[in-house]
Amino acid sequence: MNNNTTNTSMRNAFFNRIYEIAKNDKDIVVISADMGAPALDRFRRDLPGQFINTGIAEQNTILIAAGLAIEGKKVFAFAIAPFITLRCYEQIKVDLAGMNLPVTIVGVGAGFSYEDSGPTHHTLEDVSIMRILPNMIVNTATDNVMTVGFVDLSLKMSGPNYVRLDRKILPNIYKQETDFSQGLAILKPVADINIVATGNMVHRALEVSEELKKQSLEIGVIDLYTLPIDEKLFLNTINNAKKIVTLEEHTLPGGLGGAVVEVLADNNKLIPVKRIGLNLRKGYCYKYGGRENIQSLCGLDVESIKKTISEFK
Amino acid sequence: MPNINELNKKAKYIRNQVLDMCVKAGTGHVNSAFSAVEILVALFYGGIIRFDSKNPKWKERDRFILSKGQASVLLYPVLADLDFFPKEELDKFNQISGIFGVHLQHDVPGAEITSGSLGHGFGIAAGIALAAKMNRELFMTFVLLGDGECYEGSIWETAMFASHNRLNNLIAIVDRNHLCVTDFTENIVALEPMEEKWKSFGWRVINVNGHSIEEILEALKGFRSRKFTKPLVIIADTTKGKGVSFLSDAPLWHGIAPKGQQIDEAKNELNKEE
Repeated sequence: MNNNTTNTSMRNAFFNRIYEIAKNDKDIVVISADMGAPALDRFRRDLPGQFINTGIAEQNTILIAAGLAIEGKKVFAFAIAPFITLRCYEQIKVDLAGMNLPVTIVGVGAGFSYEDSGPTHHTLEDVSIMRILPNMIVNTATDNVMTVGFVDLSLKMSGPNYVRLDRKILPNIYKQETDFSQGLAILKPVADINIVATGNMVHRALEVSEELKKQSLEIGVIDLYTLPIDEKLFLNTINNAKKIVTLEEHTLPGGLGGAVVEVLADNNKLIPVKRIGLNLRKGYCYKYGGRENIQSLCGLDVESIKKTISEFK
Repeated sequence: MPNINELNKKAKYIRNQVLDMCVKAGTGHVNSAFSAVEILVALFYGGIIRFDSKNPKWKERDRFILSKGQASVLLYPVLADLDFFPKEELDKFNQISGIFGVHLQHDVPGAEITSGSLGHGFGIAAGIALAAKMNRELFMTFVLLGDGECYEGSIWETAMFASHNRLNNLIAIVDRNHLCVTDFTENIVALEPMEEKWKSFGWRVINVNGHSIEEILEALKGFRSRKFTKPLVIIADTTKGKGVSFLSDAPLWHGIAPKGQQIDEAKNELNKEE
């Protein structure tokens, strides 16, 4: 196994792992809508028979992936996240979810990853639309160890899943060989107030908890990386929690926070929840100046989150 | 050469089955099915498609993908007649105890895929054909498209993909019945010149009269020998609602089953002596 997952992008970590496995498994196929990665260059060079480029034609990317999967191929369909989800959503619905085909959709650019590229490239709706499809699993990567773990999990699945990768290098917080089949992890012990976060915002949650610790406020941090939520596990995990803050670089309707409150409401666990994410009323973000700047404008920076939690307390 | 008279009789039998199914259920795309009857009869009864109805997932079978999924009311009677599933299922079309409704679904033996939203089956068929090449398998993949379906952009994404990847194990048949739901294609947004479009996307094109089983079989002569690198599209000129005058070339009959007196009228015309 290639454990070199530091200082490389998530997509590199992901495709390096696929490369290692695909060398010995000719049924693994990567299909790209003209999206690249250095690790994919090696894949293409060494395993040309297992790499397909459809060009910038995401509907066809999913259709070809479906046909390959019907014939027993283990397919990874790859592009920038908004294009490989929203552009071809109906193909994903009818063909992957509808026929429960084992295709892994790999989207790069979760949240404001493409901070320089504007709303066409921001990926702020994908969790909402992907998690409502029957049979679909949504996995959001927090670091490269998890990213690699998602490759292995994907290959064990009998149905479709969507892997959301950040465009940026996020520091590794998980130990090598961590088992990610649980769908969530407790990163700071469950306390009265707990942040449930996903993806890059897990790192933000850890920062916030460190800051608040200085003010003698212990905050639990849970990384909820797999949707749909394993309800039993989640309810057990937060059994002693008094309040929950959900945190995501994603639009609020239908996102992680929405998924959390659905589980709580359906199970009569009526504890206060504050959802932090993107407010639809603000519209699309046409601001630039770096991801931190955009996050500040949207209330996702450390200070804003601290303030929100203090007011919620 | 198969006996064309027998095949034409089979076509008449299948049209009757389609009509009976749809009349009983009070729904179904009768006229979309009628335009493609001879195409399916040629493929399934004319010695073209390899299948094993007792083993629908037989690895070496040719794949038949019905991309115009609304014509499932045509494929189902064919599959039942070939013993993929009991004929009684046809009587249960769109019923509580039945296994299928108006649009094609993948779990029906022989159906291969779910279809109903247009522009999907063609790409899936190309993916299947590509997998066959990767695996060095010799089966062929056939896909039946509607002409209205060719408005979908995904059709042309797949068309250029298939020719670029030299999928000469893929045969598309376009049921060119000239009619959509509300109007004739050339009144909506012109699809012509159809032949030139496919040619410019890198396909080999054969035009046939889609109601002539002989012409369809002739177009498919030697199709397994793969003399060409290009994929083949057969543009089958057809009449939507063929076989029943009041259904033929009639806009606004899409997805509607005849009722009352219309039923006898349709039956009489379908079964009149030649």
